[in-house]
Amino acid sequence: MVGASSSSASTPGGHSSGGHSSGGGSSAGQNSSADGTPTFEASSSPRSITPTTVKDLRDAVTTNGPVLIRGTGTATTWGAPVRDARTTVSLAGMDRVLDYRPADMTVHVQGGIRLDVLQEELAEHGQWLPYDPARSEATIGGLLATGDAGPRRMAYGSLRELVIGATMVFPDGAIAKSGGHVIKNVAGYDLAKLCHGSLGTLGVVVELVLRVHPLPQASRTVMARDVDTATAQRLTWALTKSAVEPTAVEWCEPEQVLAVRFDGTADGAAARAASARSMLTGSLAELDAGEAHSFWESHAARVVAEPGDTVLRAATRPGVDPALVGALSAWADRAGVKALLTCSPATGAYTVRITGADAKAHAEVVKNWRASVEAVGGFVMLRRRRPGVDAMVESWGRAPGSVEVMRRVKANFDPENRFAPGRFAPWF
Amino acid sequence: MDAQAAADRRRKLDAVLADLRRECGPSLRVLAVAAERRAYETDALTSHRVLPGLVLLPADRSQVAPIVRACLRHGVPYVARGAGTGLSGGALPTESGVVIALAKLNRILDVDPDRMVAVVEPGATNLSISAAVAGYGLYYAPDPSSQVVCTIGGNVAENSGGAHCLKYGFTSHHVLAVETVLPDGSTVVLGSDDIEAPCYDAPGYDLRGVFVGAEGTCGVATRIAVRLLRKPEVVRTLVADFPDVPSACETVSAVIAAGIVPAAIEMMDNLAIRACEDAVHAGYDREAAASLIIELDGPGEECAELFEQVSALCSEHACTRLRIAADDAERAAIWAGRKAAFAAMGRLSPEFLLQDGVVPRTRLAEALAGIADLSSAAGLRVANVFHAGDGNLHPLVLYRESDGEGPAAEALAAAIAELCVALGGSLSGEHGIGVDKACSMPKMFSPADLTAMDRLRAAFDPSGLCNPNKVFPTPALCGEARGGAYQPHPLEETGKIQRW
Repeated sequence: MVGASSSSASTPGGHSSGGHSSGGGSSAGQNSSADGTPTFEASSSPRSITPTTVKDLRDAVTTNGPVLIRGTGTATTWGAPVRDARTTVSLAGMDRVLDYRPADMTVHVQGGIRLDVLQEELAEHGQWLPYDPARSEATIGGLLATGDAGPRRMAYGSLRELVIGATMVFPDGAIAKSGGHVIKNVAGYDLAKLCHGSLGTLGVVVELVLRVHPLPQASRTVMARDVDTATAQRLTWALTKSAVEPTAVEWCEPEQVLAVRFDGTADGAAARAASARSMLTGSLAELDAGEAHSFWESHAARVVAEPGDTVLRAATRPGVDPALVGALSAWADRAGVKALLTCSPATGAYTVRITGADAKAHAEVVKNWRASVEAVGGFVMLRRRRPGVDAMVESWGRAPGSVEVMRRVKANFDPENRFAPGRFAPWF
Repeated sequence: MDAQAAADRRRKLDAVLADLRRECGPSLRVLAVAAERRAYETDALTSHRVLPGLVLLPADRSQVAPIVRACLRHGVPYVARGAGTGLSGGALPTESGVVIALAKLNRILDVDPDRMVAVVEPGATNLSISAAVAGYGLYYAPDPSSQVVCTIGGNVAENSGGAHCLKYGFTSHHVLAVETVLPDGSTVVLGSDDIEAPCYDAPGYDLRGVFVGAEGTCGVATRIAVRLLRKPEVVRTLVADFPDVPSACETVSAVIAAGIVPAAIEMMDNLAIRACEDAVHAGYDREAAASLIIELDGPGEECAELFEQVSALCSEHACTRLRIAADDAERAAIWAGRKAAFAAMGRLSPEFLLQDGVVPRTRLAEALAGIADLSSAAGLRVANVFHAGDGNLHPLVLYRESDGEGPAAEALAAAIAELCVALGGSLSGEHGIGVDKACSMPKMFSPADLTAMDRLRAAFDPSGLCNPNKVFPTPALCGEARGGAYQPHPLEETGKIQRW
């Protein structure tokens, strides 16, 4: 059943969670983003298709022009703007749990299921996917394609570590799977990893099998204020080398707050939080459950920007580099913008939200700070941008050494460049 | 082989050698004499043997790219090899092909204890990494049983696991970046560009994730950046005996259902218990129908609390004896018994075949009952020693070649692997497909699945020269008669390595 209409909200046979609102304000033909992406909607005959079966999805992607795959639309601006995608294929109609085996701690889902919906279902069995990206309303397929990760990655890994099987539809209509339902499996190549970070350019992840974990009994958060960059790095090393086993360490600038999270048994998490307090410096607070919940909610919201903001993601080797943080604030000051930084020092991930001033100022900060990050072996990509920024700065920086292999992969799977064309421009 | 074709292959090898003598000079060690090459004709899947045309031992990692380029230039297939402990024939040479033996590239190049990262050469042994970082209270987590000798390059190729991957994951989870000589002869880093400052993230497709576990078909690793973990504060280990196999399986499920993720849960059936006990005297109960080894680690208080729960769950499930390791020495003895399992099988049978299938954990009892049925129908004994926590079975089909039981054993082993797939599992949990199980791949994957994987392979290796005839079923491979008796690896006989 293919609904080829411009509004594609709920679907028959779908998991009626009531939370699916991908239809509202996000359908093709309507440029919903004020973030300046010259989007696919600009093409002459925009069309949105919401298939409900793999077969219909295959028909949709093979018989229509350049295709943009869409989950809940939380990351349509990540990477470079897509050119000429005349068809949006929405996964909103493929959002079910197909097979949940709590005793095996595996769950088989369709790619269009939202992470928060899945987490609710798992929680009923005392389980969860130990994965906490800021966009909890995003779909699992979309989260794999964007390679997104949250603060707890340092302890539990990213989605690439949690996907044990996947079924994909490739641009030529081939439906292929890799992996399976068992948590330990080395048979064949891992196509799910290939799709990690592919931003919809290789295939549609229509089904995934995930390894789930027991929900921790308790979670504790300790916060230290007035922690400067060098101290944040030193404390991170001290925490990760100690027996306190934090599951997240996050540092924010300009607030200079270091937040440390512990998951475990009720007594254990409390004991480890207490030990951590003795190691931390600055003004300390242990948050109660409610405070912790709202802290982490607002922490996630920091990186999800308002229209008109520019958001960058940078990755470097682990640490929070005082020189990089200093460079960012210097470039931001010079350009007259505000830069809000969130860093996961244990994994070297930085998210920066730029607000204020104009596109030229945003582009200047991107260009200059990217040079600093690339000089230490890292990279910076654009997740969203203020209108006009694209004309002044590329979404991707220096091409990785392996870009030629990526081009060949792309050419072998999508020789006509039909899936999200332009997403990795200027690389391919 | 046709004499003309043989001469042609010889000529190509000579051309490769001439190029390399010029480019690499005398420091590149070359084994050209048949007697020297013979040592490289097999890995630990000793039933498959192919004499390579040339064996090259680079003295320096800069010599790897010239070798790959020379092979490409002259159309000669090649395979990289570490310690040769692989159990699926992943390092089996191609006839008249080149073996690139990386054993000399065994240095730990850099350790960053703050960032918990080490950069190592591919020939470094798995255990040498942990040894090099032990002083910082760190270790490298994946622990295949051959870790004393197996190399990190081989671990990367096979995405190796080990007893503790239930909690800590596989090689793929612990590799941040791989410097690789691609089959086109170029050298790139998969993962972030600077191998000396490896990042968790890299832009674009996760090629590092594809490379790890590609069984050496996507290039030759020359440097590897691995994550290190902090040693757990506390480790607790117990052995629980059960009056029957289903009770042991139910206990495994109960532990998992309680929300506990042990570091390891291993299971042995009676046949395996007796063989191990006779060989190692680890203190196992020879009368137990099944035993579990359960290990927990982590912060002290939580570990103690969860260990109490696990002990109670064992008792609730008809456990007849619960033995808790009092100290490190006793823990080591318990593991020594378990690790000796495969070597100990020699006490039960002159020959055996080892399988590596996986089933969903909740179907373990069903799988074991099915194996027992297949075993009695075939009139051959099967011992079971396995990673129960993640459903990774290692059935050992015991047989006597001199009694002509070989073909029946082969058929039984294949039937067991297919049973695992039929129960929703996999052909291989950690040993890889290699040549051993390539012909069974269509049991698990459709033609479309295999085509997609082959497309990916072709993106790395359009020439098809990089470790050909592995992983994927080919007429050349699957048309031939397969298999043969298990023969212990020489290092296994000397007690340097064990199999799980």
